Amino acid sequence: MFDRTLIRNFSIIAHIDHGKSTLADRILVATNAVAQRDMRAQFLDDMDLEREMGITIKANRATVFREFEGREYMLNLIDTPGHVDFHYEVSRAMAACEGVLLLVDASQGVQAQTVANAYLAIEAGLEIIPVINKIDLPTARPEDVALELEHVVGIPADQAVFTSAKTGVGLPELFKAIIERVPPPSGDVDAPLQALVYDAKPDVHRGVICHVRVREGRLNRGDRILLMAARRTYQVGEIGKFCPRPRMVDEIAAGEVGYIVAGIKTLHDVNIGDTITLDEPRADQALPGYKPPQRMVFCDFYPGPMTEAPELRSALEKLWLNDSSFSFDPVHSDALSFGFRCGFLGLLHMKIIQERLERESDIDVVQTAPTVNYEILLKSGQVVTIDSPSDLPDGSTVEEIREPVIAASLIVPADCIGAIMKIADDRRGQYQRTEYLSPERVMLTYRFPLAETIFDFYDRLKAATRGYGTMDYEFVGYEAGRLVKLDILVNGTPVDALSIIVHRDKAERRGRALIRRLRTEIERHLFDVPLQAAIGNRVIARETIKALRKNVTAKCYGGDVTRKRKLLEKQKEGKRRMKMVGQVTIPQEAFMAVLDPGDD
Amino acid sequence: MRAGLYVHVPFCPRKCGYCDFYSLVPDSSMTGPLVDALVAELNQVADAAAIHVETIFVGGGTPTSLPCEDLMRLMRTLGDIAGRDRVVEFTVEANPGTLDIQRAEILRSHGVTRVSIGAQSFDADELERLDRIHRPDQIALSAEIVRQTGFEHFSLDLIFGIPGQTPVSWQRSLESAIGLGPDHLACYGLTYEPGTPLYERLRRGEVTAADEDLEASLYEQGIAYLARVGFEQYEISNFARPGARCLHNLLYWQNQPTVGVGPSAVSYVAGTRRRNVPDWAEYVRRVRAELSPVSESETLGERARAGETAMLMLRLVEGIDRGRFRTATGFDPHELFGGVIEQHVATGLLEKDGERIALTTRGRLVADRVMADFLLPESKEGG
Ligand SMILES: Nc1nc2c(ncn2[C@@H]2O[C@H](COP(=O)(O)OP(=O)(O)OP(=O)(O)O)[C@@H](O)[C@H]2O)c(=O)[nH]1
Ligand code: SF4
Ligand SMILES: [Mg+2]
Repeated sequence: MFDRTLIRNFSIIAHIDHGKSTLADRILVATNAVAQRDMRAQFLDDMDLEREMGITIKANRATVFREFEGREYMLNLIDTPGHVDFHYEVSRAMAACEGVLLLVDASQGVQAQTVANAYLAIEAGLEIIPVINKIDLPTARPEDVALELEHVVGIPADQAVFTSAKTGVGLPELFKAIIERVPPPSGDVDAPLQALVYDAKPDVHRGVICHVRVREGRLNRGDRILLMAARRTYQVGEIGKFCPRPRMVDEIAAGEVGYIVAGIKTLHDVNIGDTITLDEPRADQALPGYKPPQRMVFCDFYPGPMTEAPELRSALEKLWLNDSSFSFDPVHSDALSFGFRCGFLGLLHMKIIQERLERESDIDVVQTAPTVNYEILLKSGQVVTIDSPSDLPDGSTVEEIREPVIAASLIVPADCIGAIMKIADDRRGQYQRTEYLSPERVMLTYRFPLAETIFDFYDRLKAATRGYGTMDYEFVGYEAGRLVKLDILVNGTPVDALSIIVHRDKAERRGRALIRRLRTEIERHLFDVPLQAAIGNRVIARETIKALRKNVTAKCYGGDVTRKRKLLEKQKEGKRRMKMVGQVTIPQEAFMAVLDPGDD
Repeated sequence: MRAGLYVHVPFCPRKCGYCDFYSLVPDSSMTGPLVDALVAELNQVADAAAIHVETIFVGGGTPTSLPCEDLMRLMRTLGDIAGRDRVVEFTVEANPGTLDIQRAEILRSHGVTRVSIGAQSFDADELERLDRIHRPDQIALSAEIVRQTGFEHFSLDLIFGIPGQTPVSWQRSLESAIGLGPDHLACYGLTYEPGTPLYERLRRGEVTAADEDLEASLYEQGIAYLARVGFEQYEISNFARPGARCLHNLLYWQNQPTVGVGPSAVSYVAGTRRRNVPDWAEYVRRVRAELSPVSESETLGERARAGETAMLMLRLVEGIDRGRFRTATGFDPHELFGGVIEQHVATGLLEKDGERIALTTRGRLVADRVMADFLLPESKEGG
């Protein structure tokens, strides 16, 4: 068995795009885990979407071996995603480590997620190795950035390792730091087995492959194991490690990660976060497991005209088994009929799930605009939570509407403070404090209603800061506000999927903007289509989409038939992502009109 | 098999700004080889014993812009076919400014029964905006030649929705056209086809398209006026005195077999649509080398073909004739399109009786929207 004192477990954490996956690449090559000729950029990002978007979505693990001062060390690394939506992946990764590499781009410096991730690591009591990366860039200023880090999170600048994940400069120093500074895992190989299932993948031939991290004890091929929450026993047929390609081994023990194949038939039979122990002797207790991630934004998915509701359901189930980071529940809309209310970690997450859904199951989805959830205090004293404006109970029964509030930290150039304050004001932000990272850069802390940040907030932040501003946030709680429900009527019919909850002072502006956008998104019909925005029974804005007068091809002779038919077919194809509400066809884009902030 | 025969002459003295037909301005060395190739392709068609030519239509381009001797050779070949197969209608397109007495005689002496003149407008400014080569007075001259030569039928084409056109100038064009005594009229709404110079001018903001409301009312104005002077509308853009409908074009709208000869010409035989290569030189090269001039072909499945047939038949004022549709496609229209028909009958865009399904006057204005609902995908159940 591998000597426990020679094992190092660490995560690579950073702000998005600071080079985590690329650094992992260099580590894989430097340890000969992947031959140079088999290397491709961001090797561990194996999902199609990750490769297309150039970002990491799921944490990835690899085990590599490195000689140092005459001894061979086992390094278990976890490459984490940088985007704020996937914070929970970072927390989970950290729970399986004794140390982190906190990467900072030597040219961009400390950013919002750098700070957020550093605090997570400090709270978890992990050894932090600051790594200033991309020092090959002409604009790199590694010493300044190390000082920034010291200033903001209190990690001494002289502990920083300078690297280039592109050229490989600094790698030997990095290995030295990992081996000398990250403590070995603490588990006891002789204790009863406790291993956490952190992921599971289906395999057509072998059944489910469970990815596990052994906390205590050891796990051997042939062992009879018990899934503690599922209360089922299985026989372990195969054990292996990701190096990063799967490699079979006979045993994994406390402090190690790997995979097992144990005749588990379907993903339904395993829960991510369950604990594996031996059937005999059993551990007394399961490991803490995972808290479900908190969903911040919600929207409905409805089947497009060419898709049936059951097809959408099975597509959602299939994806969910693979990735339970989102939630879905059946919902019925008066206007749009049967669909699913889905909850997401953030907007990027929502986009990714929708994309994967359509792509992996070949279906069309019509999506309503993202919204947040609300806590409603009823006159009866009861508190209910709703995650769609259309679920708001009748006005006469409502005492108070409470909306989710976040604490946001914005790191921006100091000369942009004015512009940011203006945006924050528009979005009902409450100023908390200002901290200078350096004379040129500041971190502003605000509280915002979450709802005010889910439409084009990030774009405005970027625009106001020449692209330099970054933001991190965390949920703080629900607060009462002067909120009202705005209803939208299309052709006289209220369309529940278009209704929004807005601050009273902004209702008129939002209502007008929404109707104006709808007018351009909904095409002319064969009849006039009136649009109205209303609060209760008071109409606050109206527009009419005039009926189509003329739409006819003048000439259609023998040579025109095919082209003409194809044109009409294309017109029809364009309707795949549309919904019929009464006689009116509403395109996908119209549902997003709700997001128009009406800012001037 | 009975079929219509179309011959494409891809030459014009100048290109009109709105035109997206395959045609070009030839130099004198081009017309001879092209007509040789047309004659060769026609002889092949004529030899195909299975095809019995019912109607002939020579279009383009501007057939009457061919040099006399080339026109003569082409007409001789077509005249032979017309005689042999007892063709019931033989049309040639002519443009004002290109039809002289000599050419008219060539047409008449080879059996042409119908001449269709591209008048487009009787307003000099409007003609200029369309880049037409002729002036209004040349239309009258062409009409006079046609009348004197003594063809049985005579048609004029007009365009509405021209930039700058008003209801008044449109009315003048309509009345001038009728004054010349045609028995058939085609009125086309101006279409900005991508790739044409006019389309580019529109995109650059150099011309302003007529707005939808104006265009619709010009169309309605034309329909009303022509009805008053005894012209029945029988297709979206076509009007005729009783007995003067264009039989050849009716074959297209009934999705009947047609054979196309010449560069870019389309044939529709036994459910397959083939298009000859739309390139003058390549066409000539292939025919000379006894290679097929076809460059694209398409065979639809039964359902898609039925949808296409419905799309075409709906262009006709008489609409989809249930019996004829069944013979042509093997499907009953009500079984295939029941839901769509009911939906549009309910909104007043379609009307039906036991034997016919047709667009209403209002439906005709938005025909594309209605027709799109009749197109059926190849597989999967109804759209
Ligand atoms: N010049 C230079 N570019 C680098 C270096 N490290 C990474 N990059 C580039 O930076 C970009 C982002 O790199 P990634 O490794 O995908 O970043 P990441 O931190 O994994 O990003 P997320 O997973 O999306 O959070 C890529 O274009 C890399 O090629 C470096 O040391 N020098
Ligand atoms: S005369 Fe007819 S074919 Fe020739 S360019 Fe003009 S519109 Fe086109
Ligand atoms: Mg990455």
